[in-house]
Amino acid sequence: MQPSRTALLALLVVPFLGAGLTPLVYRVLGERTAYYAAAVAAVCLGLVGSLYGTTGTVVVPWIPSYGVSLALYVDGLALLVGTLASGVGVLVFAYSGGYMHGEPGQAKYYATLLAFMGSMLGVAFAADLIALFVFWELTSVSSFLLIGHYQDADASLYAARKSMLVTVSGGLFMLVGFLVLHDAAGAALGEATFRLAGEGSMLANADAMVAELRTRGLLVPVLALVGLGAATKSAQVPFHIWLPNAMEAPTPVSAFLHSATMVKAGVYLVGRFRPLLFTDEWLVLFAALGLATMTVTAILAVAASDIKELLAYSTASHLGLIVAGFGLSGVLGAETGAFHILNHALFKAALFLVAGIVAHEAGTRAIDDLGGLYRDLPVTAAVTVVAALGMAGLPPFNGFYSKELLFHAAWEVATEAVAGGGSPLWWLIPAVAVFGSVFTFLYSIRFLMLFFGEKPEALGEVHSPPVAMTAPAALLGALALAVGLGGVTATAGVHLAPVEAFVGSVVDGTVVAAGDHGGHGNFSYHLPTKVTPYLLMSALTVGVGAAAYPSFDRIRDGVRAVRAVDPLRPNWYYDGTVHGLDRSAAIDIVQTGQLRTYVVALSLVTAALTLGAYAAAGTGLPALVAAGLEPALVVVLLVAVVGAVAVGAAPSHIAGVLTLSIVGFMVAIFYILASAPDLALTQLVVETLVLVIFLLVLDKLPAFYGSIPRLRALRDGLVALAVGATVTVTVLLSTAATPEDVIAAYFVENAPVPAEHGPVFVDAGGGGNIVNVILVDFRAFDTLGEISVVAMAALSVVTLVAMRERGEVR
Amino acid sequence: MSTATAFTDTHVVIAPMLVALVTAILTLVTRRSGRTQRALSLLGGVAYLVAVARLGLAVLPDGVLVYQLSGWPAPFGITLVADALAAFMLGLAAVVSLAILVFSLSYVDDQGQRVSYHPLYHFMLTGVSGAFLTGDVFNLFVWFEVMLMPSYVFVVFYSGRRHTAAALQYTVLNLVGSALMLVAIGGLYATTGTLNMADIARRLAAPAEFGIDSGPVLGLAAVLFVVFALKAGIVPFQFWVPPAYRAAPAPVSAFLAGVTKKVGVYAIVRLYFTVFAAGTLEAGLGLPGLSGRSFLAFFGPVLFVMALASMVVGGVGAVSRDDLDDVFAYSSIGQVGFIVLPLAVVATVADPAIRVLGLVAALVYSLNHAVAKSLLFLVSGAVFEAVGTLKIPQLGGLTSRRPVLSGSFFVGALALVGIPPLSGFFGKLLVFDTGARAHAAGASLAWLALAGALVGAVFTIAYLSRAWSRAFWGEVSPAVDRAGRPVVLVAVVAALAALVVAIGVGFDPVYGAAEAAAEAALDREGYVEAVDPARFEPTDESSAHALGRLPGVAP
Repeated sequence: MQPSRTALLALLVVPFLGAGLTPLVYRVLGERTAYYAAAVAAVCLGLVGSLYGTTGTVVVPWIPSYGVSLALYVDGLALLVGTLASGVGVLVFAYSGGYMHGEPGQAKYYATLLAFMGSMLGVAFAADLIALFVFWELTSVSSFLLIGHYQDADASLYAARKSMLVTVSGGLFMLVGFLVLHDAAGAALGEATFRLAGEGSMLANADAMVAELRTRGLLVPVLALVGLGAATKSAQVPFHIWLPNAMEAPTPVSAFLHSATMVKAGVYLVGRFRPLLFTDEWLVLFAALGLATMTVTAILAVAASDIKELLAYSTASHLGLIVAGFGLSGVLGAETGAFHILNHALFKAALFLVAGIVAHEAGTRAIDDLGGLYRDLPVTAAVTVVAALGMAGLPPFNGFYSKELLFHAAWEVATEAVAGGGSPLWWLIPAVAVFGSVFTFLYSIRFLMLFFGEKPEALGEVHSPPVAMTAPAALLGALALAVGLGGVTATAGVHLAPVEAFVGSVVDGTVVAAGDHGGHGNFSYHLPTKVTPYLLMSALTVGVGAAAYPSFDRIRDGVRAVRAVDPLRPNWYYDGTVHGLDRSAAIDIVQTGQLRTYVVALSLVTAALTLGAYAAAGTGLPALVAAGLEPALVVVLLVAVVGAVAVGAAPSHIAGVLTLSIVGFMVAIFYILASAPDLALTQLVVETLVLVIFLLVLDKLPAFYGSIPRLRALRDGLVALAVGATVTVTVLLSTAATPEDVIAAYFVENAPVPAEHGPVFVDAGGGGNIVNVILVDFRAFDTLGEISVVAMAALSVVTLVAMRERGEVR
Repeated sequence: MSTATAFTDTHVVIAPMLVALVTAILTLVTRRSGRTQRALSLLGGVAYLVAVARLGLAVLPDGVLVYQLSGWPAPFGITLVADALAAFMLGLAAVVSLAILVFSLSYVDDQGQRVSYHPLYHFMLTGVSGAFLTGDVFNLFVWFEVMLMPSYVFVVFYSGRRHTAAALQYTVLNLVGSALMLVAIGGLYATTGTLNMADIARRLAAPAEFGIDSGPVLGLAAVLFVVFALKAGIVPFQFWVPPAYRAAPAPVSAFLAGVTKKVGVYAIVRLYFTVFAAGTLEAGLGLPGLSGRSFLAFFGPVLFVMALASMVVGGVGAVSRDDLDDVFAYSSIGQVGFIVLPLAVVATVADPAIRVLGLVAALVYSLNHAVAKSLLFLVSGAVFEAVGTLKIPQLGGLTSRRPVLSGSFFVGALALVGIPPLSGFFGKLLVFDTGARAHAAGASLAWLALAGALVGAVFTIAYLSRAWSRAFWGEVSPAVDRAGRPVVLVAVVAALAALVVAIGVGFDPVYGAAEAAAEAALDREGYVEAVDPARFEPTDESSAHALGRLPGVAP
């Protein structure tokens, strides 16, 4: 069934409109704006719900001349992300009503969150690569603003900037990837298009697209570019570093953006592109990326000292699991990714809300200061049991099933590859999956233990949280529990049909049409009923985890020790680069502040460029025509040369100026000898005036030049020679040229009054002096401009005098 | 079309220049009455926008409009040429300059406005318009001078120690530039026998017919190139940019960065991609690393290196400065790299579609930079007016005290970063697309262009996020706490921010205009045909005889 155009467009309009109205609403409702925002989110959730069961494209033209449209596409995958964005949105807004009580900047907070939700819905439903990118970057920007919510804290500013640098930069790389795809579509589809999904789109012609990219040798670059976008957004190694800092945001933001939705944009993208770009290269790249992230960040989560930091690393780790799932081949890989997106959103959003409750009510987020909280927070503790055990991957909680799918997929890929003659290195895939999961088990149990054991004495009174905060957490926990129990009942034959059908439709959106065999829409999950290698992998994970847990503190300290060594420090490369640049004085090497270095650079580059152009054109120097030079001319020019040399050797300002004027006057004489008396007169006037002005000014300046180092004198001399050579060559070449049809001929004919013309001369210059006629008639427009310049020069003098010492002090 | 209507119609070509010039003169003679002077100045700014809009509407259907000054036929008189490219640049200048003018009315101190600010401002606009419209290289020199003269005064306007030092550097470097321009233009006249740009193009396309040796012309074009690069502030000719932008009053910095810089860019596009692109070298380029026979094949690699160097120098500079104006000034160096980079691609590829795309990218990026960077400089002016300092460590917490001003900065900054759907996004998108398509078409170094553009973009994020988090976020500093309320200034800034959003959301017509401009820039035949430079047929013996006595002219 085709999706409703109105519903889809309303889905994008409503949140942004809601965001725009927030400041006004806040004036009326005050803190209850939270429930207004929750209502907006609920409307969106309803709109998403109305789209269930539909699939298809809706197109709104945007920039037809560049082939960009606001195309929206509905399928299972889009609906999953859309549901998460609006559904978790409702809960988070309601929760914020309690959490943000008495906080500053609430209007801005809700407006930004609503705009974020709109952008996230846009990412989910966009079918045009450019439209997708628009919403993608908007999620990054709103994330930036929300991380910087507590703008007085340096840590927030650091965190916000880091997230912006990492995610927006990654987005730009992805944009380049999109453009390469767009261009390749031109050849593969016959027409360049930005359309990702729907009819006549890239996804509909995946094989042709991959073939075209391969011929161009651009498959791996595209994978890398799109992968960079996904990896930065979804905090994959080595770009995971921004996510822990992002916890500076208010906790509802962390729950919403940094666990359930925004960071899912990256894995969504991987899932979306999977049917288009799945190849052997894809498998290697994304399986490696996902497994590396899953393991590294799980280890880092063990070392965390703050509950939100733990959850942040854990989020990165689970995103790694999803990426690894989408990276692995077959339906199993798709199922892993699709099902774990849902499961992770449920248990992790619940845990973040739990963390918010703990921080709010116990007054601290330090892991070591917390314990035994179940007595004060019984409901929260129950939610934590469900969610944390799901996170650990223990049956029968929801996370178990998707992790089991990963083990299954990893095992299949490895056995298939090795059976096909592949290297035994393929066994690394299941091995790393198990290794990383052990750490997941460890930190999950550690989080759970915040609620059990003895309550530390230092921990003061723990208040009870408001219902607005516990209810959303409890609801998420209940949903997670339901999904988990669905697997239990399914073992007995009673399937949780809506969940299975929904996940099945998501899987449909991520399976490779040709490569993945079977399994359309018939996804189901249940507890294992027989012993399989992958069940043993789960058992191994839990066994090793349980055995190691008593030494948790030693493991944690070990990880911290390793983490403190510089190249291994998570922020090492970021801090090194960014702080280095922020404090760099490198630019002072270029911008010395001294005019002489600027002029030297300008002169040398000009000389090099000009002489380079002559050389590139193979232009030889014209033969010097010395014959015909009058002796007087030679003498004048020689005196000028001597004067020029003397300027360089002049011992004082006065002497310098006087010798310089020798050059000027020789040029004037040269003009006279070359039959240009008007030029000579001008030159004489200018020379005289300049000399007088110079002398008047020099009177106010110290008489002594100061001496310069010999080396610099030598350098300056060489620069002068280079400039001189450039100008000389230019003049020689110019004067040697003999173009035909020179426009001067027209002036010569049209300047004077033609003899037969009589006194009226509309079509002629009508003057005796050709230069005059050029100035005031043929090229009078030039003269107009030059008169303006002279007027402005006079005005400049007035300004300098009038504004003297008047200006702002800056 | 009868000659009479043609005569009237083409007057729209010179209208923007006349409006600006007349306004300059009127504001000069009304200096005694500050109020009248300001009213006239504002009226002139609006009239300029109207004149440009009228010209744009005329260019839209007719393609190229030509105006021969005094009725002297091309190439003998001076020709003004308004095509889609000139109209695009004029439109950019008109919108930005009006916003800056309104800002100035409230920002520049009364005495300064009365003495010379308004006449100089409109003279500067006259020069800019002349540079966009002229079809004559010497006339281009004249309008460059008209544009530069006021800017010299403006840089030293506050007459402090630092302003004087900056103005000295700015003036000296630009005077060297003017001297180089004269050398180049004189040489071009000597080697091609004409000054009319269409005529130069026509002659270069058929050098044998006109007795032209292409080699020296290439060298002279290189000299001229330095001048334009200097105006555009491209590395290694960027030295004057940071001190001058910092010293000048904020609205002037906005004008220099937003409009004057684009004159340099325009001149490169017009002269190298329309005019000198006609030139070829029989033997091909003879330096290692260069190949091809076109003049552009020489300038392509040069532009490429300059673009990459600009991005790095601008980025490294902007990310480490502690003064808002400094950050924006270095940013201007970096951003012009994004304008030049697609030009470098256009100069080296043959595919006509990619050539158009590359020019569209450069033009759209220019438009974005004109609006967004002048927005940012005006923000810095408003911040200075409100807070009294631009030192980042003394700012902080502006968002909580001046939210609209801060929001406008944020929009401008995001536009420079290239966040959709703002104007800057499409600039980035098109630059990347040019690189990607050139790469797919087999251009050898296109991947390096893409990599450079990405690195430059990351730098942009780094310095703008730094400025934002330190000056606009953070604890409210004592200076910010006492901040005043410059209502008019903030209104202008907010209007420009709205424009940045509007250009992005309603990008389709902008793309259409840029595409028409790019096609006009590459359509040499159309340009030459419209100007239609005549060949001189001597009618009497005496002039031919007189000609024989001119030095350097073949009888």
